[in-house]
Amino acid sequence: MSTHLRLVPAVAEPQPQRTFCGHCGAEPETDLYGRVCESCGLGVLLTANADAAPRPGEPFMIVDGSLCVCALSQVAEELLGVEETEAVNRHLSEFLVPADAEAAGADNLMDLVINAAGAGSETRVAVVRPPDEFGVRFRAQVGACGPPRAALLVLSDGWG
Amino acid sequence: MRLAPTLPSAVRTLKTSEAAALLNVSPNTLRAWERRFGYPHPQRSPGKHRLYTHGEVAALRDALQEGLSISSAVSRAREALSADTNVLVGALHSFELERADGAMEAALALRSVERSVQEVLLPSLRELGARHGYDSAPWAFAAHWANEWLQRAQRLAPAPTRPASVLIGDATRDDLDPDSLDVRALELFCARAGARVLPLPVRGVTGLSEVLGAFAPHTVVIAGSYVSDDDVARWAYGVRSAAGPLPIALFRRGARDDRVRTTGARILSDSPGDAHREVMGMIEARQSRPATPAATSAGTDLGTEADDATPELRRRSVGM
Repeated sequence: MSTHLRLVPAVAEPQPQRTFCGHCGAEPETDLYGRVCESCGLGVLLTANADAAPRPGEPFMIVDGSLCVCALSQVAEELLGVEETEAVNRHLSEFLVPADAEAAGADNLMDLVINAAGAGSETRVAVVRPPDEFGVRFRAQVGACGPPRAALLVLSDGWG
Repeated sequence: MRLAPTLPSAVRTLKTSEAAALLNVSPNTLRAWERRFGYPHPQRSPGKHRLYTHGEVAALRDALQEGLSISSAVSRAREALSADTNVLVGALHSFELERADGAMEAALALRSVERSVQEVLLPSLRELGARHGYDSAPWAFAAHWANEWLQRAQRLAPAPTRPASVLIGDATRDDLDPDSLDVRALELFCARAGARVLPLPVRGVTGLSEVLGAFAPHTVVIAGSYVSDDDVARWAYGVRSAAGPLPIALFRRGARDDRVRTTGARILSDSPGDAHREVMGMIEARQSRPATPAATSAGTDLGTEADDATPELRRRSVGM
């Protein structure tokens, strides 16, 4: 009998998904959309779990499994003072570093990002700051988005 | 035996609407990408309409499928296009001429001749020169191949189509001079733009008047920095004596202000692509200028405006 038993993945409830533009954050107006946002024309349309997806006006960035920045939203460009064209292919730590010195292991920002860009499905939160700036902190909600699969960091002021 | 490389008569190009359709975006979006990312970078048709290279647009289309942003897709598309440079450097580094010809053919499949030269051939040769030194045997090997390639490309250029003739005073040392390939590229681009091009060494003054009597140049470009100012001045004097006052421009001769002050010459961009547009612009500006004795010169002629008003010269300027 035991030869007929095998491990199968747990059946999870499908999460509600939301599609948004990687530049302006807007949702496409129609279901029949291509790869590029019809609203601003400057971003690729991506999908994430609804709880991880950015709300309109929220700054966010997209980072791949090697911790390279792949996209920076328009609001994040203003927040971090760098244009997406300058930020792409640079390491995440050039723009954000963990602000919580006590965080370790799975709570570490880089681990969260690698996990989200890999197989992780949970949305987690980290406290971050720009490098060389100690008076500024952001709450970074780290989830997954794609395709292709990558980590989505939505930044906000509150970290409570 | 090595086969002669083939140069496509025309690279496949797309109008804005066609390129936009291939990328599934609007023409406005495509123009916005050009402004923000500098890619795709269109050429202009004679009517000043945008013409996109099919290879560039196709590379972006493929990259968009795997890209998380337009920026990263553009970066990936640029990398795909720059692969030709690596292939050419590798081929010349290992002295494989057929592979070098193949790399240029691959480049020509994606780009115009001008862009293939500017984005693949010249950067590759610069890299080899920097790596081995401009007095090395590998540089000589690569420079010889590149010179030959550029000369073949020029032989395949269409016949002159416009009333423009450019006299290029070659002030480089020889074919191994680092500036030599840029000068050959400038000759090629001017020829492909429909102009008649005559390169002459600036150290040869004998018989200049006979040659220029037949060629009747509209402008003179002194190219290269090896030959001394004295020799160049002697040659320029010979040209002026034979052909009268002509606009003169300096290409890759160093941006020394005193040269501009004393000769009234225009300094061209270091890039042969930009320089050839500037040369053609100089000729067009001169030809569209009303030929009246009272007209004032912009100070770029090799001579005085009074000389410029002679009937013989005016006939030469418009008669080709």
